[in-house]
Amino acid sequence: MRRILMTIAVLALCAGAARAETIRILMETVPDTRYIQELLPQFEEQSGIDVEIEAISYIDMHSKLVPQLISPQGSYDLIVVDFYWVGEFTKAGWLMPLDDLVARDGVDVGVYVPKLMDLVGRVNGVLYMLPFYNYSMAVIYRQDLLDDPAEQAAFKEMHGMDLKVPETWDEYWKQVEFFTRDNDGDGERDFFGTVIQGQRGDCISMQWANYLYSQGGRYHDENWNPLLDSDEAIRAMQYYREAVENYSPAGSESYCFDEAFNVMAQGKAYSFVTFNILYAGFEDPESSTVAGKVGIAPNPGGGLNGGWGWAIPNSSPNKEAAWSFIKWAESPEVAKERAMLGGAPTQAPIFTDPDVVAARPYYPILGEILAGTQDFPVFTYTTEFVEEVGRELNLAATGQKPVPEAMAAAQEELRKLLVKDGKISE
Amino acid sequence: MARITLQGITKTYGQEVVAVDAVDLEIRDGEFMVLLGPSGCGKSTTLRMIAGLEEISAGEIRIDGRVVNEVDPADRDLAVVFQNYALYPHMTVSGNLSFGLRLRGVDASEIERRINVTATMLGIEGLLGRRPRELSGGQQQRVALGRALVREPVAFLFDEPLSNLDAKLRSAMRTELIKIHRDLGRTILHVTHDQVEAMTMGERICIMRDGRVVQTGPPLEVYRRPVDTFVAGFLASPPMNLLNARIAGESGALVVDLSPVRLPVLSDREEALAPGRDSAITFGIRPEDLHAEPVPRNAAPLDVEVVAVEALGPEVVLIAALPGGEEISARLGRDFSAPPGSGVRLYADLERVHFFDAGSGRALGEK
Amino acid sequence: MTGADAHTLARRDRRFGYLLTAPGLAALMLVITFPLLFALFTSFYDYTLLNPRHDDFIGGENYLEAWEEEYLAGSFWVTLKFVLASVVIEFVIGFSVALALHAVNRFKTVYYLILLAPLLINPVVVGLLWRMLLHAELGIANYVIGLFGISRVNWLGDIGVAFWTVVLVDIWHQVSFMAILLLAGLAALPREPYEAARMDGASAFRCFLHITLPLMRPVIMVALLLRLIFAIKTFDIIFIMTKGGPGTSTDLVSYFIYRAAFFGLDIGRASAMSVGLLVIVLALTTYLFRYMRSLR
Repeated sequence: MRRILMTIAVLALCAGAARAETIRILMETVPDTRYIQELLPQFEEQSGIDVEIEAISYIDMHSKLVPQLISPQGSYDLIVVDFYWVGEFTKAGWLMPLDDLVARDGVDVGVYVPKLMDLVGRVNGVLYMLPFYNYSMAVIYRQDLLDDPAEQAAFKEMHGMDLKVPETWDEYWKQVEFFTRDNDGDGERDFFGTVIQGQRGDCISMQWANYLYSQGGRYHDENWNPLLDSDEAIRAMQYYREAVENYSPAGSESYCFDEAFNVMAQGKAYSFVTFNILYAGFEDPESSTVAGKVGIAPNPGGGLNGGWGWAIPNSSPNKEAAWSFIKWAESPEVAKERAMLGGAPTQAPIFTDPDVVAARPYYPILGEILAGTQDFPVFTYTTEFVEEVGRELNLAATGQKPVPEAMAAAQEELRKLLVKDGKISE
Repeated sequence: MARITLQGITKTYGQEVVAVDAVDLEIRDGEFMVLLGPSGCGKSTTLRMIAGLEEISAGEIRIDGRVVNEVDPADRDLAVVFQNYALYPHMTVSGNLSFGLRLRGVDASEIERRINVTATMLGIEGLLGRRPRELSGGQQQRVALGRALVREPVAFLFDEPLSNLDAKLRSAMRTELIKIHRDLGRTILHVTHDQVEAMTMGERICIMRDGRVVQTGPPLEVYRRPVDTFVAGFLASPPMNLLNARIAGESGALVVDLSPVRLPVLSDREEALAPGRDSAITFGIRPEDLHAEPVPRNAAPLDVEVVAVEALGPEVVLIAALPGGEEISARLGRDFSAPPGSGVRLYADLERVHFFDAGSGRALGEK
Repeated sequence: MTGADAHTLARRDRRFGYLLTAPGLAALMLVITFPLLFALFTSFYDYTLLNPRHDDFIGGENYLEAWEEEYLAGSFWVTLKFVLASVVIEFVIGFSVALALHAVNRFKTVYYLILLAPLLINPVVVGLLWRMLLHAELGIANYVIGLFGISRVNWLGDIGVAFWTVVLVDIWHQVSFMAILLLAGLAALPREPYEAARMDGASAFRCFLHITLPLMRPVIMVALLLRLIFAIKTFDIIFIMTKGGPGTSTDLVSYFIYRAAFFGLDIGRASAMSVGLLVIVLALTTYLFRYMRSLR
C-alpha cells in the first residue's frame, strides 16, 4: 500500500516538475539516524532528490533487510550495516563495491579511523561501506565520586592507591568492589560498583568482550584458531560472574543496555561498561539524574569496537542517487555538523575539531577510546556466533554452568562456525 | 401429597410492571388444578413462583401449611415439566431421568426400578439410551414428563407442556396426563392457554387475566356461570356471543332489547335484572344455545341473515348478522346449510342466556 | 423426466458445485498448502540465505543436524512446559472470569472493553512494557510488593522465576482471548436445563459440573485448541523479554527456529525443525481433538 501511494506520489511529481528522484533508506531508530533526519532538508535542497528514511528498531532490521537483499530489485536504495552483518552480507554478495565510485569522485577515505575502516569499510581489500557512526565500548563512571575527598581517603586507606580514573583492570575492579555498598543498612546492596547487561544474546556478548580484552584475551589468533577456552577467557568470565553475583544489581542476568542504563542513570551505580553513544544520555538531565557527574574512559585493556557503515545493496534501484547521498552525509561539513549534534564520529579529524571539542569536550577521549578498541570476530556467521556464545556466557553468568565448561562450549561453537565458514579446517 | 396455598402472591418487575397481582388460590391435596389465561396473564410466573424459580415480591406460598417463600426449589419437593421440555441435551434419556435422583442420593437399584416403572408407564423404554436430539418432539415431551414422575414429588407443576405438540399428540397426551393423575393421585398444577385442555383435564380451573384471578371453579361451572364477559368470551370455541343490549320493560315484563330485535326475559331472572331496567347491558348467548329448530324449552325466535357457513363435519358453525347488523355465531347440526345472504330463523334457548353489566362486565343475576 | 435426465442434471449440479468452490479451494491451496510444501521441500535442501536456491539436495541431513542440536530437546521441553502452564492457567482464569462476568448484567460492554484491551496491544509492546515493570531494581512490580514487605523478586534474571514470569506475562496478554471465547459460549447456552436442574435439586456447583461443563465442551475444545496452537507459536515476548535466557530457561522452540533461520541463515535447517514441530503439533491437536470428542 505504502509503495503504491509512494509510486502515485512520485508519478505526480514527475508530471509536475523535474524533481523525480526518490531514494529509500532503511535505518535504525538511534540518535545518529535522528541527526541525519535533521540535516536532511539540506541534501534534498542541494540535490533535488527526495529522501525517504524508514527508521525501525534493531530487532526488526535484519529480518526486514534480508528478503530485500535477496531479490534482484529491492525497495531500499541505501542501507546501513551493523558490523555483525558485514561478513554475511559481503559473503552473500549483497553489497556493491564502492572503490570505483570513490576513485571516480575523488572521495578521501583516508580520513576514517583505520579501526572503523577495517570493521565497517573494507573487507578483504574491497571497499563495501563507508563508516557511518561508531559505538565502540568504554567505561562510563561517576567522576563526582572519584573527586570526593572522603572517598579518596577511604580508598587510599583500603588499597594504598589513589582513587582516580582507572587505567588497569585491577584498579578498576578494586573501585567496583569499593563502591558496592549497602547505604541504608537493610542488608541488601543498594549501590553497585558496576552494572552488568547480561541478557542472553548480543547484550551479554558485547559487554563480555570488554572483559575478555581486559584480561588480554582474544577470540581467535591471526589464523582464526579460536581462543575462547584460554585462561584469559576463563578469567574474564570469572570476573563477569563475580560482577553478576556481587557488584551488580539484581536482575543483571536479564538486563540489556537500556535496563542497565537506567540503573546508572538513577544514580545507583558507580560504573557501566557499555557503548560510548550512551554517554550523551547520561549527560542529558531529561534521561539521567547524574548529568554532569559522569565521565568516560577507555576500558582497561581495550574496549570492543563497534560501528555501522553506509552501503549500497546490489538490489538498489537507484545506486547513483544513493551514492550522492553517502557523499553528502560523509562530507567533512555534514560529518562535523552531525558530531556537533551529538553523533558518534568515524572520521579522525572530527574528534579533535576545535568547534566540536568546544561543544562536546569529551570527544577527544572518544577518539582515544576508539583507537584502543579491539575487533569482534567478523565472519559470515557473526550473528549466529553472538547468539551461541551469548547463551554459554549467560549460562555461566547465571551459574547454571561452571565457567570452564561454558567457555569450552563457547570455544566449540566458535570452532564449528569458523569451520563452516571455511576460515579453519576441521 | 400436598396442598398448595397462595395468599396475595404478587410479582413486580422494577417499579412499574406488575406481572402477578395479589393472587389467592388454594390447590387442594391431590387436585388437578388448571391455571388458564391468555399469554402474559401471569399464569406461568405464578407457577414459577410456586416452583421457586422466581422470587416472590409479596404474599405467601404454603405447601401443606409450611411457608416456602424462602425455601430452595430443590427442597420444595415439586417437579416441573417445562414448555420447552428443558431436557439435559448432553445426557441420555436414562441420564435425564436419573439426574435428580442421583443428586438426592437415591440408591442405584431404586433409581433403576423407578426409571423402569416410569419408562414403561410412558412407553419410552426403548429410548433410554438415546439423547434428546435423537428424539421427536412427542418423545422429548414424554421424557420431560418422566423426569418429573421418577422424582415422585409431592406435587407436579406443568408449564404448558403440551403447547409444542401437534393436535393429535396433544389430545393423546391430555388423556395420558389425566390417567397419570388418576393413578398417582398427586397434586397437579397445570398451566395452559388452551381452554380445551382446561375443560378436559382440570378438576378445577382458575382463570387469570392481567395478573389477577378472575374465576376459579370446576370447568362446567365456569362454563355455565362465567363471572364476567372475559371468562365468557375466553372459554369454549367459538366463544359466547356478546351483544350490546338494553333491558326494557314491556307490559310489566322485562325484555332484552337488541334493537330492533327483542327477546323476553324469563321470570326467574327478572328479579336480578329489574334494578337495571332501561340501562345498557351485555347480552350473552353461547353459539351452542342457538338452534335451527324449535327446542322443547323456553326459546325465542331470532331472524338472521347468513354471512358464512363453516361446515366442520360433526357440526356447522353459522356466522350470521342480526337485523341490527351485529354478527353472531351458532353451532348447528351437521346437516344445516343455507346460502350466504339468505334469511334464517334461529331459536335462542332463553334458559341459557347471560347478562353482564355493560360497564364492569360482571355477570348479572346468575342463577 | 427420465432417470437419465435426472442423472445428467445431478452431474451438472455437482459440476457447478465444484466450480463454485474451486476459487476458494485454490486460494486455500495457495495460502496454506504452498508455504507448507515449500517448507517441507526446503527442509531437504542446503538452502541458506547466503545461497537461497534449491540446488543442493541433501536428503535428511537437516533433520539429522536438528536432531543433533545439543539444546533443541531442552527447547522442546521448555516449550511443552510453557504451553501446558500458560494454556491450563489461562483456561482456569479465563473460565472463572467468564463465569463471573456471565453472572453480571450491567456494564457488560465496559468489562468487555477492559478485557479486550491487552489483546489489542502488540506483543512487542507487551514485552517491552513488562520488561520495564519487572525491572528487578527499578521496576514498579518490585516496588509494589516491597510495600507489602515482600522482598524483591528477580523476575527475569532468576532461572527458576523467569520461566514463570514469561508464563504470567503471556497469561496477562492472552487470557482475555480465553475469557471472551468462553463468555460467548456461556451466553449461548440454553437457560432451561438450569431451571430443570434447580428443580432436580442441583447446587450451583453441581449445575456447573453437570450442565455447564458438558454443554460448554465444544467451546472449551475450540478455545483450548486455539490457545494451544497460539502458545506453541509464542515468540515475541521471548524475543523481547528474555532472548531465551537466563541460560536456556525460556528458550522456546519458535525462537530456536528463528535463530536458525535469521542468525544461522540456514533456512533448510530451520525448515526441518519447523516440519518437526508441525508434526508434533498436528499429532497433539489430533489426539486432543479425538480425546475430547470421545468424551461426548
